[in-house]
Amino acid sequence: MEKKVKVSRGFIIIVSVLVAYGIFTVIIGFTTGNTVRTWANLLLNNYYFMSVAIGAAFWLAIQYITQSGWSAQFIRIPQAMSDYLIVSFVLWTFMFFGVHHLYEWTHLEEVANDPILLHKQPYLNIPFFAIRYTLFFGLWIYFTQRIKRLSTLEDKYGGITYFKKIELNSKIFIYVFAITFSLFSIDWLMSLDPHWYSTIYAVKKFIMAFYHGATIITAIVIILYFKGYFPDMNKTHFLDFSRYIFALSIIWAYMWLSQYLLIWYANIPEETIYYVPRIMSDYKPYFYAELLINWLFPFLFLMWNRVAKNPYLLLFAVLVLIVGQWVELYMSIMPNTTNLHKITYIEIGTFIGYAGLFAGVVAWSLSRMNLIPKNHPYLMESIKHH
Amino acid sequence: MKSNSIIGIYKDENVLLEAIDELLANNIRIYDVFSPFPLHGIFEKLKLKTRIPYATFIYGVIGTISVFAFLYWTSVVNYPLKFGGKPLNTLSFIIIMFVLTIFVATLFTFLTYFTIEKMWPGKEAKLPVPRTTSDEFAILIEKKPDMDKNELDKITRLLEKTGATEIKESEVDY
Repeated sequence: MEKKVKVSRGFIIIVSVLVAYGIFTVIIGFTTGNTVRTWANLLLNNYYFMSVAIGAAFWLAIQYITQSGWSAQFIRIPQAMSDYLIVSFVLWTFMFFGVHHLYEWTHLEEVANDPILLHKQPYLNIPFFAIRYTLFFGLWIYFTQRIKRLSTLEDKYGGITYFKKIELNSKIFIYVFAITFSLFSIDWLMSLDPHWYSTIYAVKKFIMAFYHGATIITAIVIILYFKGYFPDMNKTHFLDFSRYIFALSIIWAYMWLSQYLLIWYANIPEETIYYVPRIMSDYKPYFYAELLINWLFPFLFLMWNRVAKNPYLLLFAVLVLIVGQWVELYMSIMPNTTNLHKITYIEIGTFIGYAGLFAGVVAWSLSRMNLIPKNHPYLMESIKHH
Repeated sequence: MKSNSIIGIYKDENVLLEAIDELLANNIRIYDVFSPFPLHGIFEKLKLKTRIPYATFIYGVIGTISVFAFLYWTSVVNYPLKFGGKPLNTLSFIIIMFVLTIFVATLFTFLTYFTIEKMWPGKEAKLPVPRTTSDEFAILIEKKPDMDKNELDKITRLLEKTGATEIKESEVDY
């Protein structure tokens, strides 16, 4: 059962071209005077793929805590995805050169004249911001790498002890993740508009990470299945993956509505200011697209059992949801930064570059470990799943 | 519906599931299976089909539309009352629509199911083997008039071979 993912030469070339295109776009963006827009796009894509990676790690932790049997043969995929966090940490460091272009609270002369920002200054200042960033990423990388290492050791030596250790680590990780990821979302996304706050914002982003982490895991599993890497995979596995997406789409919509409806109903100007540029401008189609793609589409599409069990249709749903998450982050970031209602080569090129990098990192990581965890205690249950 | 049936009684679920496979492999049509608890995978094995989910979906759609129509009629058409500067046709409909959609879909599915199965509160359960509500499993095979002795023997033999603890023939009414 020693099987590793083989990375073909064609794949490496494609990934390199995508990454090169992304770098090229970013350079073009900076040199043609679209500085703010390029920084905003870098933030968007950094956040996008980081949240997918950390959402996958959370998904994995949930599998261990609930002692799920069906998913045992797929645990390498979230493990490989969480390796991207190291790359993301490096890439995100460059964001500190652009904080002045994106965040109002970094301009000290403006903060001095603004009582609200002055009040928030003990939390929102660059040194503490950098410390939190390092601490959060450090914790995530520590836990994901530890889980991955224990899983590799389990492969080598077998036994139940490693499973129990991973379970314990997962239990700690979900608490750490809940707190750190919430604060991270507040730091990097909500503070784009430092006067405004919503207490459910971080929860929504948390669910988004889990939702789209599960989505990308499904995509990678299906692609590997088509390549013949999961011979023991059957329809019920697809059904379980689509159940994850289906259930999370409803929770996501619940969070979306919880935030929107309360703000809409209370109608307090300080709060509604967040939604004014999003609904009462050219962003309107994106605003509705966000809800329709991320909730209504998977809700109606995956409701049918026959669709949910079909890998081709499930892959189609996943590809639509990739766009859905992009639109959600676009709506979180752009109205507060660039305020340009258009998607052109910068948006598309940056995303392509990051997507290529993410695919490359995941493939590289998968090629270095056993795809099927042969000593996982629930492996047999996963193979015989029906 | 009354029918003469051969009943095989089993004591273990795994033996029962294997027996079902064996019977199906021998082209014997299983009329029904009784079990004290839901058995995983039996639905697919017996190739049972149900249209209840479609009914639920339709009830859900009808629920959403009718609840919206009701809310629209009451608060926009019949008694338009502005409060808090909110539009008449408001977003707060969604919560009631959501809740009542679930309620309508659940209630009507439940009623549909009870109608199809001819069940009502207080109805006496018609069980061919009463112990199937506690610790026994039963397979029912319908005895058709065109079955000859050979075929009936074959069924009995198979039931015995697959580990049935008891085989009986009786008139089943349900």
